[in-house]
Amino acid sequence: MTTIFINKTLRHFGACNTTPQAIKKVVPVVQRCLCCLMLSCLCWGCAEQDDFGHDQVGNFEALWTIMDEHYSFFDYKQVDWNEVHDRYRARIDNDMTDRELFDICGDMLKELRDGHTNLIASHDVSRYWIWEQWPVNYDERIIDQHYLNFDYKMASGIKYQILTDNIGYMRYSSFSSTIGEGNLDLILSYLSTADGLIIDVRDNGGGLLTNVETLVSRFIDRKTLAGYICHKTGPGHNDFSEPYAYYFEPTKNHLHYLKPVVVLASRGSFSATNNFVSIMKGLDQVTIVGDTTGGGCGLPFTSELPNGWRVRFSSCPVMDAQGRLTEFGVAPDVRIDMDENDRTRDAILDAAITLLTSH
Amino acid sequence: MSILNIICLISRAKARSVLLLVLGAMVAMSAAAIPADIQGSAALYNQSMFMLDAGYASVHDSYLTPITYDGLDLGLSIEVTRWVNHYRWLWQLQVGADYNYVENNAKNNDLHKVMGDITFNMQYAWQGVLHPRLGFSAGPMAQLRAGIVYDAVNSNNPVTVRAHWNLGATGMAWFNTRMWRIPVTLRYQVQLPVAGVFFAPEYDESYYEIYLGNHKNLAHLGWWGNRFDMTNYLGADFNLHKVVLRLGYRNRLEHWTVNNLHVHDFTHALVLGIHL
Repeated sequence: MTTIFINKTLRHFGACNTTPQAIKKVVPVVQRCLCCLMLSCLCWGCAEQDDFGHDQVGNFEALWTIMDEHYSFFDYKQVDWNEVHDRYRARIDNDMTDRELFDICGDMLKELRDGHTNLIASHDVSRYWIWEQWPVNYDERIIDQHYLNFDYKMASGIKYQILTDNIGYMRYSSFSSTIGEGNLDLILSYLSTADGLIIDVRDNGGGLLTNVETLVSRFIDRKTLAGYICHKTGPGHNDFSEPYAYYFEPTKNHLHYLKPVVVLASRGSFSATNNFVSIMKGLDQVTIVGDTTGGGCGLPFTSELPNGWRVRFSSCPVMDAQGRLTEFGVAPDVRIDMDENDRTRDAILDAAITLLTSH
Repeated sequence: MSILNIICLISRAKARSVLLLVLGAMVAMSAAAIPADIQGSAALYNQSMFMLDAGYASVHDSYLTPITYDGLDLGLSIEVTRWVNHYRWLWQLQVGADYNYVENNAKNNDLHKVMGDITFNMQYAWQGVLHPRLGFSAGPMAQLRAGIVYDAVNSNNPVTVRAHWNLGATGMAWFNTRMWRIPVTLRYQVQLPVAGVFFAPEYDESYYEIYLGNHKNLAHLGWWGNRFDMTNYLGADFNLHKVVLRLGYRNRLEHWTVNNLHVHDFTHALVLGIHL
């Protein structure tokens, strides 16, 4: 059949003088070429596909599988994920609405007790923000009015001023605000005459770890072990790489502040802020005052369900310099709460000022 | 409905149909031609062809998402072909860049893939062996291809870097004919990298960790056991005296599995080219 086809084709091409012997030679070559083309087509059909159905059950299974293969803290938190599957799968059917499915999936994720884990849809974001239930221990208005008298400087997302006791104060509300090295020079230059410095990262929900490095590097005078980081190397719950020690070095050709420092922390100090506090806690001249941080030591990754919902989850565990996970927070050196009934004083800030003035 | 939407609607099955249609059209066009006065066989020209690719792309990268995205493929490239050693050998230099804009099935997120590549090959040619106007060539090739795939929504895995350097083989078959009295060279070329080196992070390794200095297990030896790439080109060059116009079809396949990560990308593109 192929021979006849090729013969006819060659004749159409004007190969009237082609001998039968030549055609016989051509046939196997062309046959092989066609085979290659067909194999190519097969390869295109072998595209890597997500194996999940696009119905409600399929989306549930996709979510469970993504977490099963990528989430980092099953063993650390002693969560039996298979048992969780069976319990929640029994509540799923294909007739339920998207909102019903979302709520059940969100409840399933809450079993992980992880502030970094969210299911994100157009209508809602599931969350385990347990710190919302804990004391806030921060009131911006009290500080602005009673400590700064509404007179402060701002640069690179950092509010700063020298308080009446000649103590420097820096308020950094989000590690998502990129800190410019030049701005930081100007801030530290202004605060350099102060006897001590307070860095207020209460209620700072985190952001970029590169900003942690930028800030910490101004408070060290030598290469310093910041912690360890590892990552999953496969879908198994315990498939982790060897923890990798990472170090911060003093920023070259920029100002450094090596006088006593107090870092103010609260339960709202989460993720990158938790990391910042854990590193600063290891420095000799630094004291942590306030409440335990909110934790969140897993670098979050994002994945996706067939219906377009996104899921965020802790993926790469980051440990402190002692190799400990700080998923549930970093304890302060001085534990103190604000008095919620006193709208004029910040007990945590007062404790920090006392600590620094007594040096 | 935009052109992009229409392209996105093309399924893989449809893409195969398009391929078969193009193949059929090429054969039909060739069959209709009457190459009465074409003589000689060295009809692949020394040429520098500027090409525009436009078509369908499918991107699957499990580092970013388990979902396969599909959409638009655009590319620009230049292909320089030169004969040497009395038409015994030819070399080709191909330099190009391509961009994929692909969406998920839910149409609520997109990926951007930008790649650049440079390929050099040297081929030995057999001309007029089976037919006076039929030529074949084959030889080794080297290819460097690199770029990124970007997902704006992801948190600490928003981007993944693609880079590979491959050695392999390429082969061509061409046939000189006439269509509407215009001299035409029909050509099929396959590029098949065999082995090389490529970059891939570990399963859930963040680029932040790589930035911190952990460069372990990032470079991988690529071979057909863990990586398969292939580029097919099928087209026609119309020689309009001082100008050569190219009309063709190109498909590119990139598939690899390493560190429990899976990548499977492919494109089907219409190729328009001009040689001045």
